[in-house]
Amino acid sequence: MAALTAAIANLKGGVGKSTTTVMLADGLAYYYGMNVLVIDLDPQANSSQMLLTEQGVQAASDQGKGTHHLLASFMAGKPPSAAPFVMPNAVTLEELRLAEAQDRRQGWISSLPAHPQLRLRELSLEEEWYGKSGTPTTLADALAKHFREAFAPLQSIYDIILLDCPPHLSPLARAGLALADAYITPTIADSVSTWGTKQFSDWVGKFIAPDLPSRNFVLITRFRDTKYARQVASDLREIYLKDRWFGPTIPESVHVLNAMDRAALDSYNTLRGKYAGVTGDVRRLAERFTDFMTQRTGVTWQKVRD
Amino acid sequence: MAESPGLTPVEYIDRFFDELRAEVRANPKLAARLVKALGGNVVFEDEAKADVANPYSLAAEGDKARFFKIFGAMKLGDLKKVLKENNLATRVDMTGKNADQLVDMLYTRAARKVHERKSSMF
Repeated sequence: MAALTAAIANLKGGVGKSTTTVMLADGLAYYYGMNVLVIDLDPQANSSQMLLTEQGVQAASDQGKGTHHLLASFMAGKPPSAAPFVMPNAVTLEELRLAEAQDRRQGWISSLPAHPQLRLRELSLEEEWYGKSGTPTTLADALAKHFREAFAPLQSIYDIILLDCPPHLSPLARAGLALADAYITPTIADSVSTWGTKQFSDWVGKFIAPDLPSRNFVLITRFRDTKYARQVASDLREIYLKDRWFGPTIPESVHVLNAMDRAALDSYNTLRGKYAGVTGDVRRLAERFTDFMTQRTGVTWQKVRD
Repeated sequence: MAESPGLTPVEYIDRFFDELRAEVRANPKLAARLVKALGGNVVFEDEAKADVANPYSLAAEGDKARFFKIFGAMKLGDLKKVLKENNLATRVDMTGKNADQLVDMLYTRAARKVHERKSSMF
């Protein structure tokens, strides 16, 4: 069975794309025993930092792991292959680490991390490409083709591939969006994020996925329970994005911030220890997204943990 | 519940729904949210219109006549409340306007915002 590839994307920054990526990776691995590959295409490298720590992101880069190295292999004209650039272990949960140690792997997370070097390498690639009369669109297409072939062998190893996309439409970002079977759109219940989500819908609908609504899973994040936010959230569900799947509303919470700050590369925590007051939100996110996956793929998933 | 250990499950459920019914009668906003969540169509009664009617939702339906019928029957104070609470007008904007002008403003601004925020592709 080929892994579903889901792009976590929105043209608006600061809406919780990286946090959603990590919460979803943890939730699907923990509750459903899925093997998850997180690919970070955002040079800010936030989801990589959340999974691996800053030290881990640098160590991965030093070991030749990361999307910037994958990009370098494309620039060097090497055959498409992503496996050598993957960090196989990006688990932060004690339950998953123990299951692996006891040789009964039920849920695993690997990372193809980003590094701030990614942006510089992308700029260098763009200069080289445009210098040869290439265009942003031909570069995006070439990258998408390379990535599709590079990720193909990974499709049978993982159950789901999560692509954490940057909040813009660079050729690299467009290549990532072109690979996706599904689009996870985190947004905030405010007017500027609502408008940003419209821009994203219009662009992806026009250039990449004319059937976007059936492939779009929307998540309201960083929710502050005010009358205004409730009204905007309701309008998103009932007016602006009423043809989309909605996940649970994720509250703005210090528990979320804490969960994304790993103590050290060799530090593990239980699911409840990591997520504390938002553990139920992680569970609901995994449940709802699994329903969405089932609707997309026809494959049903059973929980392996409560 | 601890003081009534003898209630049957059905009696507990009856109590729960009695409380829910009472709250729905007293709180039109909650009632509208519950009915919408269940997929129902909310009917606006005069005294609850200002609390329940959502100008964005009604403008998005595209039925201008229905929009004007619902909001056109409102009193000036209620219209100002709807405009203000939905971030569609400030006090300055509303000063000196009569009810008809406010309904026009409400429709124009709500429809424009819906147009701006809803995908033009879908």
